[in-house]
Amino acid sequence: MLKINNLNSGYGKLQILFDLNIDVPEKGITVVVGPNGAGKTTLLCSIMGIAKVFSGDIIVEDKSLEGETTHNLAKQGISYVPQMGNVFAELSVMDNLQMAGYLTPKAEANEKAESMTEIFPVLKKFIKRKAGTLSGGERRMLAIAMGLMKKPKLMLLDELSTDLAPIIAEKVMMEVARLRDELGITILMVEQMAQRALEIGDTAYLLVSGEVRYAGKADDLLNEPQLCSMYLGIKPEEETIADVEKPPLKGSE
Amino acid sequence: MAPWMASGLIYSSSLALLAGSITIINITTRTFNFAVASMATFGFYIAFTCVELYGGYPYQYYPLVALFGSFLGLVCYFGLNRHLLRRKAADITLMMSTLGYDLLLLSFIQMYVDYLSFTYRLFPRRVTMNIYDFELFGVRAAAIILPIVALAFLVTLHIFLTRTKFGIAMRATIENPVLAGASGINSDRVYMVAWIIGGGMASLGGAFMAMAITGTPVMGMYTIPLMFAGAILGGLNSLYGGMIGGFLIGVTEYAGVFYLSQRFGPWVQGYRMAIPLMLMAVTLLFFPRGLAGIPLGKVWRGLTGKKRGASL
Repeated sequence: MLKINNLNSGYGKLQILFDLNIDVPEKGITVVVGPNGAGKTTLLCSIMGIAKVFSGDIIVEDKSLEGETTHNLAKQGISYVPQMGNVFAELSVMDNLQMAGYLTPKAEANEKAESMTEIFPVLKKFIKRKAGTLSGGERRMLAIAMGLMKKPKLMLLDELSTDLAPIIAEKVMMEVARLRDELGITILMVEQMAQRALEIGDTAYLLVSGEVRYAGKADDLLNEPQLCSMYLGIKPEEETIADVEKPPLKGSE
Repeated sequence: MAPWMASGLIYSSSLALLAGSITIINITTRTFNFAVASMATFGFYIAFTCVELYGGYPYQYYPLVALFGSFLGLVCYFGLNRHLLRRKAADITLMMSTLGYDLLLLSFIQMYVDYLSFTYRLFPRRVTMNIYDFELFGVRAAAIILPIVALAFLVTLHIFLTRTKFGIAMRATIENPVLAGASGINSDRVYMVAWIIGGGMASLGGAFMAMAITGTPVMGMYTIPLMFAGAILGGLNSLYGGMIGGFLIGVTEYAGVFYLSQRFGPWVQGYRMAIPLMLMAVTLLFFPRGLAGIPLGKVWRGLTGKKRGASL
C-alpha cells in the first residue's frame, strides 16, 4: 500500500530522517516505535507534505506523492491524526466531524457523523459541545472519528496514547485494532506506548536517530530484549496494565 | 441628531469595517495589511467617480466599490502574500510587503486623481462627499444607512462563519491550518476568500469614511493609525471584536473631541487622534487581549450582583 524508499527529510535545513525504507502492507497495522527525537512524527509529516522531503520516494498504490499538498493527500484517501492539535478546539464536536468530512457532500457527511457517534458513543453525548472542553480521551476518540470520516484507505496515527490514562489508552488501542479487523483500513501508527502497539501491530519498525534499526514482524521485535530495553523501555519480566486487562484481539495471540 | 453625532456615526461605521478588514486578513494569513489605507482611498474615489460621472447617490455604487476592493485584495494575495506564505515568511516580512503594496497603490491613486482632473475637469484632491447625500427622517441619510450596512455586514459575516460549510472551514483553518489541510480543506482558497472579504470591507469602509471627513488622496494614510487601533482594541484575533473596536474608536474620537472642546476650547481638535488612542492604551492596560479578552460573564455577574450558577 505505502512504500517509502531512501527517504531523507526534515524541517528547513535540518535533516531528521536518513535513508529511510519502510513498507506498509495493505489492511494491516504497521507500528513505528522508537525513543523521543527518533523522527517518528517527522516520518508522518513527510508523508503528509508537512515536512520537507530532501530526497527519496513516497509511493501510495504505485503513485508517487511528490509535490502533493496536504489537502490533496486527504482527497486521495490518506487520513492523518496528529499527536497534538488533532481537533478544532473552538468548533463543536459536530462541526469537527463535518470538517473532517469536508470533501464529502453535506448529507453524506451528516450520515457519516451519525455513524461515528455510533462507533464512539461518548461523542453523541457531547455533540454540541466545543471540542476544547472534552477530556483527553474524548478528544482522541473525536480525532480518530475525524480520521475515519474520510473513509480512508490509509490512516496515519501519531502517538494516540499520549497524555491518556492507561485505561483510556488501552481502549483507544482496541479501537485501532477494530479499524483494521472490521473496516480493513491500512494503518501506519507511530507510538510511544510500544508494548501495546506492538501487540496489536502486524509489522514494526524501530526508528532511532532518524534511521531504521529494526524492520520485521511486530511480535518478533518484542522478542528482542536488547532492543526493547535499550530503546523502548520494555523489560521482559515487566507486567503492564495491558497484560492485566488485555481483552482478546483478532489477529493477536 | 446633532451634526457631530451624525458624522461620528458615519465615521465609526467606516472604522468598524476598516478594523474588521485588518482583523480578518490578520487572523487568516498572519498579515497586518497596511494596504488597507490605499484600498480605502481607492474605495472612496470609485464612489466619487461614479457619482460624478453617472449621477445618483453614492450608496448605489457601494457594491461596485466593494467589488473593486476585493479585486485589490486578490491582487495583493496572488501578487505577494501567497508566495510569501508558501515560503513561510516571517510576520514582519508579510507586513512590510503590504506596506510596499500600499505605496504602489498610493502612486496609482495619485495618477488616477490627475487623470480625473485633466480628463473630466473634476476637483478630486479635496472632496466633500456629503454634498451628494440626502436627508432621511430629518438627518443625513448616511448616519442611518451606513451604521445599518455595517451592522448587516457583521451579521452576514457571523452567519457565514457559523452556518456555512466554507465559513466553518475558514474558522477551522484559522485555528489549525495543518489539521484543516489534513481534513481536505484547501487553505489557499480560505486565504483568498479572506483577502476578497477584507479588500471589499476596506474599500467600502473608505467610501463610508469620505461621507464623514474630507476625501483626499492620502485620506487612508492619515487615518490608518485609527484603523489599527480599532483592530488592536478588538483583540486582533476576533473579527467581531475588531469591528466593535473600530466602531468604539470612532465614537470616542467624535464624542471626546466634542465634549473636551466644549470644556477646554477648540484647540483640542488638534489632538483628536490622541483621544481614541488613549482609550486603546487604557483598555489594553486592563485587558491585554483587547475587547475579546473582557470576561463579559464576570462583568455581567458583577453588575447584577449574581453569583456563578445562581438561578433566576
